[in-house]
Amino acid sequence: MSFMEEVVEIAFRSLAVSGLATLMASIWSIPLAAVLTHSKSRFCRTVLDVLNAMIGVPTVLIGLLLYLLLSRTGPLGIFNLLYTPLAISFGQAILITPLLISLAAEHLGRVRESVSELALSLGATRVQMATTVIREAGPQLVSTALVAFNRAIGELGVALMVGGDIRRFTRVMTTAIALEVEKGEFELALALGGILLFITILVTVAVRAFGRVR
Amino acid sequence: MIEADSVWYSYSDKAVLKGASLSIGNGITVLVGPNGAGKTTLLKVMAGIYRPDSGRVFIDEEDLWACPPPRRVELRRRVVYVHEKPIVLRGSVFFNVCYGLMLRGLDREEVRRRALEVMEKLGIKALAWKNARELSAGQAQLMVLARALAVEPKYLLLDEPLANLDKENRELVLGLLEVLKSKGLGVGVATHDKLLALRIADKIALMEEGRVVVEGSPRDLKDYL
Repeated sequence: MSFMEEVVEIAFRSLAVSGLATLMASIWSIPLAAVLTHSKSRFCRTVLDVLNAMIGVPTVLIGLLLYLLLSRTGPLGIFNLLYTPLAISFGQAILITPLLISLAAEHLGRVRESVSELALSLGATRVQMATTVIREAGPQLVSTALVAFNRAIGELGVALMVGGDIRRFTRVMTTAIALEVEKGEFELALALGGILLFITILVTVAVRAFGRVR
Repeated sequence: MIEADSVWYSYSDKAVLKGASLSIGNGITVLVGPNGAGKTTLLKVMAGIYRPDSGRVFIDEEDLWACPPPRRVELRRRVVYVHEKPIVLRGSVFFNVCYGLMLRGLDREEVRRRALEVMEKLGIKALAWKNARELSAGQAQLMVLARALAVEPKYLLLDEPLANLDKENRELVLGLLEVLKSKGLGVGVATHDKLLALRIADKIALMEEGRVVVEGSPRDLKDYL
């Protein structure tokens, strides 16, 4: 395998793994954020506060917990997920869940108050009201998912601990960079670093663009 | 007729409505009172947007909150409440005007026809494809009015409907209210403008501290205002 082929393969694997993680986390986080913002109970406010506090949890800690869960003797060991790309996606999804819920809740909460009143005033059902709120918050929710994707693709701890950095199987950009630097092979590390930086900037530009949608 | 019967409503722990009662039938009923008297909240309760803490709301003699949810939606669709500060959805002016019609599941051609018709009446047809969030305050006010009228409600509740309008558009809206009244629509207007109340009302209700303290014809209440 040529140098270029390897760089491209690792880059695409990273995109796929983190893309899947973002998709999975969005599927459970956005509805949960909608429920948490809809309810004004103290319990829901506390859950949001706890999730806010969890945004900064070190990735290696999540990696360690997942390792214990997925290892052969762990409760989820029977699925044989450890050291697979799916395990990395799952881990990254868990990592970005608090961030996604917090940001989505903030956007949905802001939109919900005025838009739900408007929908009700024009005779919307509850489902139509919820659909309108999600439609109105749409660009901000996409922007939130992109922020979470950036966090996922740039993390190292989870990918290393549950992915194992296996060549041509679970090696992603961050684990490859760490390995190559350790080996003193800076050429591949720099190429991958450049791609990672490019993706991060591209996503940030997209986040800003979606944030400006009126 | 929409009736609020001894309605109480609180935001957090602060009671805003304290046993308010009011009925809005055919013609124009104007709710006047100082800021914080509860005019907006009472209209929102009567439109079924807020559920009262206690008391009842009747729409055409049916108790709104005692109905099963599907019936409640049907009853709420007879009433449209228009906010003082226009709430604008993402998209074009045309989409905004169509929104209430789409909620009712009307077919595309009917939605288009009714939306364009009402936009023409209010002189905003030329703005149809403009981004609704780029409208001036006055244009936005006309757009939300068009959105309300497009669904042909039986009762129209307007919160400070002339707030953002220039003289020409004020007259346009006032003329429109007269037309709606002649068609038998029930209109409720909340305002702090007593002169406006005296000019357009068939019935005036004076609110103070969460209650309707007195109601009657403009002639009866002239001395109170």
